Amino acid sequence: MARADKQACATCGKGVCDGKGVVTFKDGVWHINPVAVQVLGICSALAVTNRLENSLVMGAALIFVTVGSNLFVSLLRNITPRRIRMIAEVAIIATFVIVFDQVLKAYYWEMSKQLGPYVGLIITNCIVMGRAEAFALSNRPMVSMVDGLANGLGYAAVLAIIGFFRELIGTGGLFGHQLLSEAWYTPNQLAVLAPGAFIALGFLIAIFNAISGANREEGSQR
Amino acid sequence: MKRGSLYTLAYAAVLGLVCALTLSAVDGFTATRKAANARAEEVRNILTVLGVPVDADAAPQELLRVFEDNVTEEERGTRTFYSYEHSAKGFLRAVRFGGPGLWGRVEGFLCFEEDMRTISAVTFYRQEETPGLGGEISSSAFTDQFEGLSAVGPDGSPGIRVVGDGADDINEVDAISGATMTSDKVEDMLNRTLEEMIGRDGFDG
Repeated sequence: MARADKQACATCGKGVCDGKGVVTFKDGVWHINPVAVQVLGICSALAVTNRLENSLVMGAALIFVTVGSNLFVSLLRNITPRRIRMIAEVAIIATFVIVFDQVLKAYYWEMSKQLGPYVGLIITNCIVMGRAEAFALSNRPMVSMVDGLANGLGYAAVLAIIGFFRELIGTGGLFGHQLLSEAWYTPNQLAVLAPGAFIALGFLIAIFNAISGANREEGSQR
Repeated sequence: MKRGSLYTLAYAAVLGLVCALTLSAVDGFTATRKAANARAEEVRNILTVLGVPVDADAAPQELLRVFEDNVTEEERGTRTFYSYEHSAKGFLRAVRFGGPGLWGRVEGFLCFEEDMRTISAVTFYRQEETPGLGGEISSSAFTDQFEGLSAVGPDGSPGIRVVGDGADDINEVDAISGATMTSDKVEDMLNRTLEEMIGRDGFDG
């Protein structure tokens, strides 16, 4: 198996990403966007997006974890015993998540308090495990990192968009600065509460799918 | 290649060891800063309830300096009292309180004026009550009611009341609509502390 890999690589001459780096990247960010198309990782996407800043940090956390875990799962893919591969993946993912969580607690205490348990819960985020199982386990390290980066970015972008609208509508400002004058804008607190998250995500998925054509039922007309 | 169980065990052991070592290293690397952050957080809560003027985005070292310059710590039995000479309210004394809330533990600080009969302020620094309902105990709309509240009822018995039908007496505050459970539990935990404070010896008056 390992030898076949090497031969293919030596002869194809397509570089470290096996010639599918760009496709992989586009897939993760757009065609199979983890949140908007696959509707994975919804729990944290709903919970932390009441502030744009929280959304961005959470997105960064996920990018760090998917890139790191995809790299190591891919590096170890040929020596990992199949029977315990999922446990091994979880161990790798958990290590990256805890590292991020600890660094956040040490250098960005306020944010760490805001995000509460949701950084730790990345361990159980379906996106991370899903990419390890579906991609990193059967692809080489570099392209696996690209896949991790793309999916992390796809998730981060969706969170940033939801966070942007929820904070703007819910508080009339961004990053804690008031942008819409309170003279004519009454902040709609619904947006920063839980129902606002569901409504925002619902709209986002609907608009995304209308544009990208993802999840369209077979045979249906535009 | 067929691999035996021994290989699987060895793999798991090595992977586990590497992960554990990584995490220990990160923990060791961040320990000092995490401890400083936690201490600064506690100090900020104490400064807030005592009304010590402090910059909202002061660094941990700055908070500790303000704390050490202004606040006196004093152990009495199982409790620690934090005292401060407030420019307007006079001598203030704060103590930690806590108890079970509706969903999880609630903790805060309770601050008395010198007579130990008048509450100067109440803050909640840890709570996981229902957001928008019980969670409002942390909001100033609720906590501001405690400023100047009497810690004893009109009949002289210790305790405050969190009431749903309009606060009339000197020791009553308005409960939060839709959060009866949280309001009751907050009343309980405050009263347990008040009874202990007011029933105890060692404080004049």
